[in-house]
Parts: sequence; structure tokens; C-alpha cells
Amino acid sequence: MLALSRKIGESIIIGNDIELTILEVKGDQVKIGINAPKSIPVYRKEIYLQITDSNKEAASSEATVDILMNLFQK
Amino acid sequence: MLIRTKHFGEIDLEENKIIEFPQGIMGLEGYNKYTILYDIEEGEKPTISWLQCIEEPGLAIPVMNPLIVKSDYNPTIEDALLTPLGEMSNENVLVFVSVTVPEDMTKVTVNLKAPFIINSDTRKGCQIMVENNDYPVKYNIYEAIRKMKEARKED
Repeated sequence: MLALSRKIGESIIIGNDIELTILEVKGDQVKIGINAPKSIPVYRKEIYLQITDSNKEAASSEATVDILMNLFQK
Repeated sequence: MLIRTKHFGEIDLEENKIIEFPQGIMGLEGYNKYTILYDIEEGEKPTISWLQCIEEPGLAIPVMNPLIVKSDYNPTIEDALLTPLGEMSNENVLVFVSVTVPEDMTKVTVNLKAPFIINSDTRKGCQIMVENNDYPVKYNIYEAIRKMKEARKED
């Protein structure tokens, strides 16, 4: 992993159009400003992981068609 | 074309039923072609469908229309995230949420946080994290299903 030290107000540029700026540091919390094209999704990692886990769980469900049809339709 | 599926064996799928997910699905990257399958008697409306991967027969996600279990579902989505799907309108937009079914059926949930959005004209889709903070990844729908079925019995 690349590690760069930055001060408040300093930025990092990723590619040509993503800019991360350190806005504030308070104890162990850092506020980061993100400037990126709106077409690029930005996620908090823990929520991103919840979604990837949920997708895998939904896909790996062994509930058969019959079980689901019973649950929803009958 | 003949495709193999997780729940419905080998089926003959028309090419125009293939939906492309250019960015894949979060956590299941590497697959881009899917289709929607359901099992109903003629004239019925499907409640539950499957987002079946064309490239990997073992990959199928149960999905449903979120409005069935949350009638006021109205996610806020950044427009720019939808531009890769082509021009969207009320007529061509399809919204599905994944359904997770654990062994204990009373814990059945849908993912309101990251719906699948499909443009039925361009047949392109994506999964998007919506901006609504009050839409959870695991939204329990057991009670909603129970009420839905009761209402149906009264009809």
C-alpha cells in the first residue's frame, strides 16, 4: 500500500479527475473531502462490504424455487 | 440460445432477454450478462424472480419489486451513475432488490440500500448504492409478506 503523509488542506490526486483533500483532523478521526466525477461511485467501505456480503448471501441461498414460491405466492 | 440455469435446468433464452451489467454486481465481479427468470402460471404476476447469470449457471440471485414489500420505496440516485444505462424514463426503468432467505424464514430480508436498476430499452443494468440513509442492506420483509398474503386471501 502506498502511504503518503499530508497536512490539513493538502490533497492527493488519483488519475486525472479524483482529488482527496484532508479537511480536518480531530483525535483519531479524519475528515476527507472528495472531488470526483459524479459517475464514479464513492462508498464507505463498511457499507460496501455489507452489500458485497449481502449479494453473496442472496446468491448462495439454497432456498429452492418451491420454498420461495411458497413463501411469497401461496 | 440454450443456457444452463441454477433452478430451471437448461432453457432456451431469446437473445433480446439478455441484460448486460457493464460493471458487474458488487462482490460478484467478472460476470456481466444476466437475465430475469420467474416461474408463474399464465396470467399471474410474478412476486419473486431470479437474476440469473448467463456466464455462470450456478449464480442466481432471488430478486423482487421493492414496492411489493415497501410501497413508499423511492430511492435517491445520482443521475450520473445511471447514464451508462442509456436514457431512462418511467416506462423503461425496472427496479429490483435482492432477497436473502436464511434457513429461518422469519429472517427473510431485501437489500433496499443497493437496488438493481435496469433499462429495459437498452437492456443494460447496474447495482447502485442509493443515497437514502434510512434504507438498510437487510430490511426484514417477513411481516410484509404475511400481510400481502392475507390481503390476497380476502380478495
